[in-house]
Amino acid sequence: MQVRIIKPGLLSTIQDLGRMAFLPDAVPRSGAMDSLACRIANIVLGNNENDAVIEFTYHGAELYAETDLLIAFSGEGATLTSNGIRIPNDRPVFAPAGTHLKLEQGTGCRSYLSISGGWDVPIVLGSRSTFLTAGFGGFHGRTLKEKDVLRNIPQENKQCRSLFNSLKSDTISFPSWSAPKEKFLSGIKNNVRVIPGKEFTRFSAESLIAFLSEPFAAGLRSNRMAYQLEGPPIIKNKFDELISTAVCPGTIQVSGDGKLMLLMADCQTTGGYPRIGQVIVCDLPVCAQLKPGDQIFFEEISRRQAEKLYLQQEQNLKELKAAVSWRI
Amino acid sequence: MQIQTPNSQLFKSYALAEHAITLEFGNEIDEHVAEKVSSFKALLNEYPFTGMLSLVPAYTTLSIFFDPLAVILNPSLEGIDCYEKVMNYLAQIEEKLSARKSTLQPDVLSIPVCYGNEHGPDLREVANHTNLSPSEVISMHSSAVYKVHMIGFTPGFAYLGGMADQLSTPRKKTPARAVAAGSVGIAGTQTGIYPIQSPGGWQIIGCTPLKLFEIERSAPALLKAGDVVKFESITIEEFNKLKRK
Repeated sequence: MQVRIIKPGLLSTIQDLGRMAFLPDAVPRSGAMDSLACRIANIVLGNNENDAVIEFTYHGAELYAETDLLIAFSGEGATLTSNGIRIPNDRPVFAPAGTHLKLEQGTGCRSYLSISGGWDVPIVLGSRSTFLTAGFGGFHGRTLKEKDVLRNIPQENKQCRSLFNSLKSDTISFPSWSAPKEKFLSGIKNNVRVIPGKEFTRFSAESLIAFLSEPFAAGLRSNRMAYQLEGPPIIKNKFDELISTAVCPGTIQVSGDGKLMLLMADCQTTGGYPRIGQVIVCDLPVCAQLKPGDQIFFEEISRRQAEKLYLQQEQNLKELKAAVSWRI
Repeated sequence: MQIQTPNSQLFKSYALAEHAITLEFGNEIDEHVAEKVSSFKALLNEYPFTGMLSLVPAYTTLSIFFDPLAVILNPSLEGIDCYEKVMNYLAQIEEKLSARKSTLQPDVLSIPVCYGNEHGPDLREVANHTNLSPSEVISMHSSAVYKVHMIGFTPGFAYLGGMADQLSTPRKKTPARAVAAGSVGIAGTQTGIYPIQSPGGWQIIGCTPLKLFEIERSAPALLKAGDVVKFESITIEEFNKLKRK
């Protein structure tokens, strides 16, 4: 299977679930910002959930199917269309050779296109994810450009072949079942759960109350490394300098001028700012969909609750995998 | 039933995230603390637990990243949640630490550096700030022995301790938009090398032709925490010759 990029869109890169093994060398995790959307887009095709997907930022990208395709689309950054007709999310889609796919305006920030077998790019340092700052991984270490041609890794697995054969037709076709991403989220819009950070108690009581009750808006300076959050200033009680230590996606640092920085997929591996909170893994996909100006509220939960939610999410995705394999 | 998490004499700990625990071996930048971090890292690398994904050392801490599902499903680890399970495991292997021989003295790695000119645009600035001549700055910087305290900032970036206090110079007020790969800089009392071209605020006094980070190598980062390095002053001709290799 093969597609050609007609228009790349604002920022389109190849991602998987990221690289963990080189964190000690300060190589960031990278990977899909909305890992839930990436996993669902892969699972509904019978793929490995870590297979490479394309991460699109907002709408505008256009692709041409040079062969018959078996694909899936997830995430809210755009809606997938062909000839003005919307192709629904979170389910396998057959698109015949010659199909023109277009990403139209969505409600969030990022969306993901998976293909049967995953996109074929080399594994670099244990992952297919693009890390733009250092220019490696993904498609030649860069964002996708006009005229790029991407192929899948031919999928010989029986499940995928039977899915392909059952959907194959002259037009775009898809089953009536789907695995809606919303079903895997907390359901409370704009609510982002955090566990208290190591330096939580260093902040003034007023600041902690503001942190857990006032809205914070994604700033203009937000990217795959971090989101700057606009909100009430967060003031430290203790002024001693910190010694740099490990941070990770989800860490909320407070800068010297009292601004919150929420670290995301491409964040540095260490940091020296005080940490007020850590966004739970299950709610990072919510953050990945924020557009500048979008507001969130932080809710404090315990480490143990966060772990339970994490394990529950893994269980739900495992059940989804079983359900998909039964359907296809 | 609550299983008590044993208190370690060696470190304090906290949950960095659901999938990461940080061990604190001290609260100041210190040779002995760094030694404890690297020996515990070596111990864990030798005795990893199922689900352990990555170990991130820093000045005073070692952070352990793991797969919570693999940890919670591991019946041989005791505890009611991942935190307890990992902490109990660490207590078990901590006993093995004293039985281990202290690690051998690491080799001193020599890093060739072409100081000044276009490769060290801020050498004069550092000389002015420290009231030294450029050649005195070079000779002081290249005569000390440095220890890699931490890798951070960008892939393979080594924060080095051991620079003469006299060379201490504050960061630039406005960071440079692009610092060349290999640039050797000073920021406060620290010195370091930029492995890849990136923005940066350190005062750049020279450049090494060595590749500090290369994805084709099996160990992509040339330096790791705990390594010992020296700088060797080279001419521009030697720089160009080494660069071509």
